[in-house]
Formats: sequence, structure tokens, C-alpha cells
Amino acid sequence: MMMKNILVLVFNDLAIAYKNKTFFLILFIPLFIFASLNLIDGTNAEASKIKIGLIQNYAYSPEITGSIKATKLIEVTWVQNEDEGVGLLKGRKIDGMLTGNEKVNGGLALLVLKKDSLHTIAVVRSFSALQKAAERSGPDWITEINSLHEGGFQRQTLPTWIMMLVLLVGFIILPAQVAEEKEKKLLLALLQTPITEIQWLIAKLILGMSLTIIALLFLHMLGQFGPVPLTDYVAFILAGSFCFSAYGIFLGFLCRNQASARTLGVIFYLPHLLPTAMSDVSQKLSSIAPFLPSYQLYDPLQKILLEDGQWTNMFFDWSYLILLGTLLLYLSYLMMKKRWLM
Amino acid sequence: MQLEIRNIAKLYDQKRGLKPTSFDVDKGELIAIVGHNGAGKSTLLKMLANWILPDGGHVMIDGIDLKNRAAVVRSVGFIPEDPNLFDFFSVAYNLKLFALLSRIPFLRVEEILSEFDLQPFRKSKVQTLSKGLKQRVNIGRALLSDPEVLILDEPTSGLDFEMTREIYHLLNKMHDAGKTIIFTSHRPEEIRNLATRILVLHEGCLIFDGSPQEYFQSDIHQELYS
Repeated sequence: MMMKNILVLVFNDLAIAYKNKTFFLILFIPLFIFASLNLIDGTNAEASKIKIGLIQNYAYSPEITGSIKATKLIEVTWVQNEDEGVGLLKGRKIDGMLTGNEKVNGGLALLVLKKDSLHTIAVVRSFSALQKAAERSGPDWITEINSLHEGGFQRQTLPTWIMMLVLLVGFIILPAQVAEEKEKKLLLALLQTPITEIQWLIAKLILGMSLTIIALLFLHMLGQFGPVPLTDYVAFILAGSFCFSAYGIFLGFLCRNQASARTLGVIFYLPHLLPTAMSDVSQKLSSIAPFLPSYQLYDPLQKILLEDGQWTNMFFDWSYLILLGTLLLYLSYLMMKKRWLM
Repeated sequence: MQLEIRNIAKLYDQKRGLKPTSFDVDKGELIAIVGHNGAGKSTLLKMLANWILPDGGHVMIDGIDLKNRAAVVRSVGFIPEDPNLFDFFSVAYNLKLFALLSRIPFLRVEEILSEFDLQPFRKSKVQTLSKGLKQRVNIGRALLSDPEVLILDEPTSGLDFEMTREIYHLLNKMHDAGKTIIFTSHRPEEIRNLATRILVLHEGCLIFDGSPQEYFQSDIHQELYS
């Protein structure tokens, strides 16, 4: 009898898990991991081909150019000048660029996006192996490594933390709160006062944006991220928090209860966070990530915080975030008017 | 006539719900809507309260279409079967929040707290109150804006004898004050003691509209409660 009761309860719990969409989460996460692993460029970054930019007018030593041509591990892209190489590097078209090192006669400086990355390690190791094969001994070919991204490790990871917080508020906190107000009929109670649907939506939007800004202020108080270009930074933080708060409200309206909203939130959170955050270490992901709204926040933040980028040069990304947020807010408004799942 | 309900309908899955229904309500009436579960009682009330949108038909309150929510929002107070309050906040907070949103002075909150004997509980979190007390807060909240029409969905459901009597007392008091009241009920004694008019819904159709005397002498009552 006891076993029967336990079995009945287990089946009931499974039915609840199915009803509140927890099952989708259980199936989704392994599927997402599988897809992500297939999208990342192999498990061993060292084994993949390295793309190096060389400047056409620079006189590289014949040993170096000869060794590079002889190996299949390195793919060379010739660039007109350093600016063109920097452009390719920012666009993740090459892994690094070799220029002259003014400090060491005959030495080369390697310019990379990030110093502490798998790509940089792979480039240095490949050149070290080439040098060993060509010369056996002698001074290192690469005598300096310069990073395009400025600042220390904390600052370099700041765009990832920001995105994590913005998406957390947007995909986890807000949908659950909206769904709770629907589930407990509190939203309907509020709509029995003279407030309008738009006022309620704007209040929720302000809540989401405020939570994000408080979290970011706290993050800046605790971390040592250095000074930020305030106007450009604030412009994107506001646009990002607006877009993902609107996204969260929209997700909340798609769900009847809190449990469903949390599940749906995680289902949206991971695919927006991980491919974008991992786009720096994978060329495949860097070609997929731009299709995600989260990348339109992450990439400009990287440029503003690490590459001295300016808001005015990223107007497309900014407009994209604002337009997407406005569209989602409008859809939420329509669902609210129709008393969708209330 | 205060309420004009014309061909109002809402069907779920093409079966359950309310089929096109029409009736009028005069000012000061105390109407009981009765019927089996699933007869469409709550659906009707929720449409009158603007909680759900009808598939067709219209409702006019004092000549204004219910669709014009802003114009009629203060005219109708709806009290659902399950109190929908912010559980984690106090009684006073809940009332003050709705007073603020409805642009009603806090003095009215104090009046409601006293009128409904809620002063001792003003600082208590709603989640710590009994269902009867929560319902009292809910009715108090609905009366903040002093609406002309009060709609209650099974107001005494799940309440003990004492609390039920209190609710009857409140309804009578509001009726004496000239309010129009529409409520649903399954309790014959409640209908007999309170209602001035009875509407019976059966499978989404209005099958009876008359006085309590007519209702209790009719076969419909026998069939409903046999």
C-alpha cells in the first residue's frame, strides 16, 4: 500500500512537471549542451588551424615566412596595413597579427584580441614549435604580445558579467513576477483601478531596468573595473535593460503560472547567454551569436569597455535593442488587452 | 435601469461558458445568480467585472459601454471567490495601495478599516489572516471607491457560520445604502434571506428570472436542489 501511494505521488509529480513545462527544461538542457559542443570549434583549440595576419610592406625574416608557408597549421592573411589587420582581428577573421617590435631589434610583436585566451596560447605555441623546427636555438621570434582589449582580467570579463545580470533580470526575475501577478489575479485586481495597461507595463519595465542598474552599480562598487566612458556605457546599459526587461514581461505573459515562467526563462536564458559569451573563443559561435539579441548588447559593450568604441558608431546595435524591446512591449500590451491566460 | 446586458456570451472549447444572455438590472436590486457548477455564473460575473472579454454582446452601465474601462472602472466593484490581495503585505498596505491607484484619500482607508472591524489587523500580513478576514479585506478594498454596483462571486464559499453571517450583514448594509448587488450562490438560505431577484443559469442559458417567492415555488428550484 505504501509503495502504491509513493508511486501515485511520483506519477502525480511527473504530471505536474509536465504541466509546468519542467520536462521541457530537462530535455532542453542536454540538447542545448549537445548543440553547443558541436558549434564550438573542436575541443582542442591548439589543433585547429591558426589564422595569422601579416602586413604586406613589412620585411619579415625569410625564416619566418618560409616556416609559415611550409606548415599547414597556419593560414596567412596578408593585410595592407596595421589598421586593416586590427579590423580583421575585431571581426574575429584572424587570431592574431604579427608586426615589428620596436623595442627588440628583429623581434616580432603579436597583436591579439585578448592576451589570456586559448587562441593566444595556440598562436604562441605554434610559432614556438615552428621556430624550434627551423632554428633549433636563437632569440624568440615573438618578443612581445599586445592585446587589443585594454584593461586587466576583471575589465575584460566585465561585458560577460553585465550581460549575465541583464539577462538574469530579463529572463528569470521578470517573467516569474509577471506570471505570479497573473496567477494570483493581482493584475486583474490592479486593472480594477483607474490605471491603464500601458501604465502597468511601464511600471514593470522601470522595475526591470532599475533592478539591472542596481545590480550593475553594486558590481562596479565591488569590482575593480576601472573608469568607463560614461555616455556610451550608459546608453547601452539603458538600451539593453529596456530590451531584456520587455522580453521578460513578454515571456511572463506567455505563461499561466510562476513555475512555467521560470522554466521558460531558463530556456531563453541559456541560449542567449552562452553562445554570446563564448563567441570570443569560437569562430563558429562568433558567426552565430550576432543573430541573438544578447550579442547586440555584448559586442558594443566589449567595444566600449575594451576597445574605446563609441556609441555613435554602434547605432545599429542600439536601435536594434530599442526596436526589439518596443515590439515585445507592444505584444505584451496586446496580450494584456486580450486578458491572455489571465 | 442601471445595467443593460445584451447577448453577452463567452464559450470555452465551444461548449462550456455562457451562451448569449440578456437581462436588465435596476438600481438598488440585490440579485442572486444560481445554478450548478459550470452553468456560467462566474463567467457572467467576470465579464461584468471586465476580467474576461465576451465573445459577443455588450454591457452598458448607466448608459456607458463596459468596454470604456476608464469611464466605468469606479462604478463596479468585483469580489472574486478567492481573495486576490498582496499576501506578503499588511492589510493597511493593501488598502492604501489601491486607494493611491484610485486617487482616493487615505481617510477613506481608515473608514473602511473601522467599518469592517479591521483596525486590529491593520498591520497584519494578509497571508496570516483567515479566509473570512481576507474576504472582509477584499470587500473593503472593492468598496474603497464607493462603487454603485457590487459583484460578488460566491462570497461565503468556505466560510464558517459566524463569518457567513458577517458577510450577510455587510451585504444587507450595502443594499440598505442603495448599492446594486449581484452575487452567485449555492446556498438556498442565503438566496432566500438576501436576494430581491433571482436569475438561474443552466448549461450557459438563463432559464429563470423572477422573485425569490416565484423561484422557491417553481420546479426549477426543486430540480436544482433535489
